[in-house]
Amino acid sequence: MYRLLEDQVKACLAAHGIPVPEGVRADSPEAAAAAMQKIPRAVIKALVPTGRRGKAGAVCFAENAAQASAATANLLGRSLDGFVTRAVYVETRVDIQEEFFVSFSFGRHGPRILLSRHGGVEIEQVFEQQPDQLLSEDIDPQCGLPPWRATGLWCRAGLAGDPRLPRLAALTSALYEFFNRTDALTLEINPLVLTQQDTLCVVGAMMAIDAYALYRQPQWQAADDQRESSNPRERSVQQANRLYPGGEAQYKELDGDIGLLVGGGGAGLYIHDLIVEAGGRPANHCVTPPTGGDVRKLKAVLTAILSNPNALCLLVGFNFAQMARADLRLQALAEVLRERDIDTRRFPIVVRLFGAGEALARQVAAEFPGIHYLPRGTSLRDAVLQTVMLSESTSGLLPRSPAPQERP
Amino acid sequence: MSILIDASTRILVSGITGATARVDAERSLRYGSHIVCGVSPGKGGTSLHGVPVYDTVQRALAVHEVDAASIYVPPAATRDAVLEALEAGIKLLLVTAEYVPAHDVAYIVHACRASGARLIGCNTNGVISPGQSRLGGIGGENPDEIYAPGTIGICSRSGGMSAEISLALKQGGFGVSTCVSMGGDQITGLSMADYGELFEADPATEAIVVFGEPGTCNEQELAQAVASGRIRKPVLALVMGLFQEAYPAGVSFGHAAAMIDSAQDTASAKRRELAAAGVGVCASLDELPAALSHALELARTAQSKRSQV
Repeated sequence: MYRLLEDQVKACLAAHGIPVPEGVRADSPEAAAAAMQKIPRAVIKALVPTGRRGKAGAVCFAENAAQASAATANLLGRSLDGFVTRAVYVETRVDIQEEFFVSFSFGRHGPRILLSRHGGVEIEQVFEQQPDQLLSEDIDPQCGLPPWRATGLWCRAGLAGDPRLPRLAALTSALYEFFNRTDALTLEINPLVLTQQDTLCVVGAMMAIDAYALYRQPQWQAADDQRESSNPRERSVQQANRLYPGGEAQYKELDGDIGLLVGGGGAGLYIHDLIVEAGGRPANHCVTPPTGGDVRKLKAVLTAILSNPNALCLLVGFNFAQMARADLRLQALAEVLRERDIDTRRFPIVVRLFGAGEALARQVAAEFPGIHYLPRGTSLRDAVLQTVMLSESTSGLLPRSPAPQERP
Repeated sequence: MSILIDASTRILVSGITGATARVDAERSLRYGSHIVCGVSPGKGGTSLHGVPVYDTVQRALAVHEVDAASIYVPPAATRDAVLEALEAGIKLLLVTAEYVPAHDVAYIVHACRASGARLIGCNTNGVISPGQSRLGGIGGENPDEIYAPGTIGICSRSGGMSAEISLALKQGGFGVSTCVSMGGDQITGLSMADYGELFEADPATEAIVVFGEPGTCNEQELAQAVASGRIRKPVLALVMGLFQEAYPAGVSFGHAAAMIDSAQDTASAKRRELAAAGVGVCASLDELPAALSHALELARTAQSKRSQV
């Protein structure tokens, strides 16, 4: 999932013919001041991919260049929901007559619309205190959201007989079309404004797009990945995902001492839970997609795990392999152990890896004195218990490799 | 007996000339799966492992009768391949592709429902009725090593855990009627409760084991089906991902759908809800065989009491 910034969303909405206020991105107080020549009355918003910015004080008004410059200086560098503000959006201020709320997302069965005639910064209160003012409905993707269905929804939301209904319904229908065509996973419009001039305008817009659909959404390829990690090892795995083909690898560092190489999906969750239950503390969680012979992503994850200074041991824990080959995984492990010059007598490794290529994998493991390749039939739970025991006896030993470890 | 597939199921493999499909098809044929034809546009008239290949599903169906389609095409082609199979009238479809865009998944799930067809997946490693047939690569090279025939129905959100559950059952002296990897995506064709109801209706299934994860409402729907009496056979559940609750919501570990959005989505909330409905919740596979024996014993006692009345 990629979360877009408001300037990206607004530009895309405008390109699809949806009315938005005029606005420009500014990454310095001077740029914001210059923008005021074109936009005499402005709203200055922090460009971070998170909602509720109004509530957090990250939206200011400016009537002249000096105010715009001061507001921008105040917002730049501020952190909201873990995202640092690197630019602001300078947008024409709209005179509000009425505010509506519309959002699209995915529920259990498919796309779903949520709407309310009470939009604006207090929407969370509407969610909590007046849930009857919030209408939610599944959308059949084969039919989409034609204007007459949107009309029916707004009628149920309290606008029956309202002369603005046809325009509001047409815009809602166009927004679903936009949600679908851009492969968005979420699109939240709050507020959707009826202006004093009696026109409709999308004033607040948040959007996340489907990473799996990037192949057909070339306009997003260049989108900044806002989630870039501050941890160098997590970043190197993100980097590997950009460089190499195949499924997405993940590496998330935690504060424990048991390195974890798992496949991802259900077995990885199971193994992680069992470690915690046995009193152990994983140093990371990870996802390694099945390798079709290209082990570069797998090696990137292994390198991250084995260069984490807090990891004292490693569990290579996989469900009985039905597709992937055990020998490819062990060879990748052996290569990274050699590359990083790791002494496995000081850094014990437990391997629970059965299935295709197992005999070869066992030969590879036999070259390393500290690798405990468990006998076939050992349950995942027994593998976990052995690892936790080893982790307890390992703490306090000498550094596992003669080379100095890099630290974050 | 079994659910979804048995020895008589006639299978079409869509995308049969792709690398994974080739391997899976050959192994499935060896296992006994009745693969009658394959489809690969531009390769019509050829054959693979003795299976005739056609350019379209329509052309294959002019010659063969087909009960199920295994769809092996890449994510970008999945929507069209499903619609092609539906248009030809096939009522059981399995989609292996991972990373199918969400809008396409939603579209094909609705299209299948509108056609009265059952969709397994997307992102599944398959379904197996041990000793009879399989769709997909489930069980790998030698399914017999993992999946023994028997009377326990399995439905798992994770393909890997399908294997681990079946191995634990085998070691405990149990076998499997049918094991379904339902796919780990947020939106899937059939839901866990749908599979539960199929197992309920299958005379050869005595009890049901499910594997769940954080995210989605599959486990809640299953709990409702059990609580309301739509499923009366013993159900045992493993729901993993408790550790995620120690980290901020919105962080995904593993399957894209295994992300906690709200308090009802957590593994512990799901365990509570299932337990309250009468499902036996296990903390690890090592507990499973004994829990299953106990549940089956209770069910048999209840049944004999009923038949005495």
